[in-house]
Amino acid sequence: MRIAIVGIGKMGLLHAGIMNALDGVEVCAISDTSKYLSGFVKSLTGLPVYDNYLNMLDKEKPDAAVIATPVFLHVPMAKECAQRNIPFLMEKPLSVTSAEAVTLVADIQKRHLTTMVGYMMRYTETFPKAKAILASGVLGDLITFNATIYVSQLFKTGKGWRYNRKESGGGVVIGQATHLIDLLQWYFGPVAMVSAHTKNWYSQEVEDFAHSYFEFTSGLSGWLDSSWSVRHHRLLEMTINVHAENGNLLVTDDFVKLYLEKRTDGYAAGWTNFYKPDLFEGVAIDVGGPQYTRQDVSFIEAVRNRTKVQSDIANAYAVQKIVDAIYLSASKHGEPVHL
Amino acid sequence: MIDRIILGHNQFFGVNHLAAETGNQKDAYFSDISRILGLLQFCREQGVTALMMSTHERALFISEALQKDATLRDTNIYLLLPYVAKYVRQANEKGLMNIILDSLNGTSFQEKMSMFLRGGFGVISKDLEKILTAMIDFEVAPFRELNLRAIFLHDVLTDLALGWGVSQVLELFANHVQEKYRAIPAFCTKNMPKLMALLEKTNIKNPLIMASINKLGYQVNPSRSAFETCLKEKQLQLLAMSTLAAGYLKPREAYEYIFSLPKIDSVVVGLSTREHAVETFAEIRRHAEQA
Repeated sequence: MRIAIVGIGKMGLLHAGIMNALDGVEVCAISDTSKYLSGFVKSLTGLPVYDNYLNMLDKEKPDAAVIATPVFLHVPMAKECAQRNIPFLMEKPLSVTSAEAVTLVADIQKRHLTTMVGYMMRYTETFPKAKAILASGVLGDLITFNATIYVSQLFKTGKGWRYNRKESGGGVVIGQATHLIDLLQWYFGPVAMVSAHTKNWYSQEVEDFAHSYFEFTSGLSGWLDSSWSVRHHRLLEMTINVHAENGNLLVTDDFVKLYLEKRTDGYAAGWTNFYKPDLFEGVAIDVGGPQYTRQDVSFIEAVRNRTKVQSDIANAYAVQKIVDAIYLSASKHGEPVHL
Repeated sequence: MIDRIILGHNQFFGVNHLAAETGNQKDAYFSDISRILGLLQFCREQGVTALMMSTHERALFISEALQKDATLRDTNIYLLLPYVAKYVRQANEKGLMNIILDSLNGTSFQEKMSMFLRGGFGVISKDLEKILTAMIDFEVAPFRELNLRAIFLHDVLTDLALGWGVSQVLELFANHVQEKYRAIPAFCTKNMPKLMALLEKTNIKNPLIMASINKLGYQVNPSRSAFETCLKEKQLQLLAMSTLAAGYLKPREAYEYIFSLPKIDSVVVGLSTREHAVETFAEIRRHAEQA
């Protein structure tokens, strides 16, 4: 299978490195507007490089594409892929606003095109395990949850597209908390209402802190706290703590801890802990984390078999609607926004 | 010869693969450099005089402290570069292009401009060499006065080069480390068997490789059995890491397995307490001798 890479920043380099090493898959070309970056790739690999991705799609006719460009370019590029019936893996998030993606999502559904948006936390060791436990029903009725996503990243004014609202769509919510929003939606179903507050401190145009309250259609409610400007978080760290009738479930990037009041369906009363070493399975190649490999393999298999993936464009669109609601609510000092 | 036991650095910098919170607690504890020096001194008394160090911000202070300390000055240093988490944050903060520009600090403005103006598709491998060696020199500079035994390329870069199949980058790294620093060029990887297959096509022979290997197969790709087969069949020196699977295994069962494997030249161990150090060193020596 021949893959074309659109954009070779950090994520484009990563996906290309993984896919190129998978059996039966090769990166056939790359495009980037920075001729300097693509010049490197050409001199190192001899691959064809393009500064215009449309020329690449038309000339190379790849079996699939990876879109790893700044957010404001996602939808126009995805539309061009869709028109050519080229399946694509797009980095998250889907778009600057959900409105921008409406026609794209409809077009892709009509064409039954395989798509994936890079919500790769679903491919870690711990978060899918928590999903399985939640789906098993051992916790009984779910009452409330609290979730956090933190990283020590920004302590001065940032440079580049991420801090320009027109190009990124926003700050820590759209850039990072969307990973958590995707998981919450995967775990708990559709969101009915959002109330949110945000704060800019280091950035002028985008939020560095956000606190959001959610009500799901299931009746479950809880909050999500997020920031990229808190200290002592060397790496991006996420936690979800669910409180329920029969106990609670705490999941992080590192472990899943289940506490049950009474023995249920094979899980003992008290604590049952799963650490990453309990859940780990090797991958064909690990470049920057096995979750990226599992994600890319899942995409490649779906393209081969013309099937859908869970984290497809429709799912990413639902995440985007929640992001819009968070920003709208925050602009009105936390007024509830119904979805 | 490389040291049999090398003290790891993760606990000094708040890295913990089992629980980030534990990592943060250790990070706070070891923010007092004298506690690090105390542990190094204790390890020396136990016959362990080698330290793995990433080029983390705090490592700069450790480097200064080591240079001033008459007894610890000759510690064998195994340097791991670059400190990737820093670059990932920077890439998120200012983009890949600005990182490359900033990494060329030693290059004059005119030279930089001409490199970028020439740009286009005419970038030649000389530029790559310049950027890569500038990155290495920038990262090594604060550690230059230490007793550098080996310099490891971080697994994220090794494995990225591996995925892309660009062995020239690995050769450039090896040549520069050997020529400029007279240290052993080495590679950290999460994909040992695949890396060995690529290195066989280069002039890098009998390489020093640092890779995770443990009884659980945690962080061992593509699988423990593929790793074991490669270890038996290929020419390499292995520095085993994650031998306790991020603290999940007890030293006894962990090292019993490790030293049942061939070509284990060395083990890097993460320690935070003296009791843990004594137990771990004893188990490693016992099983290594039996092997």
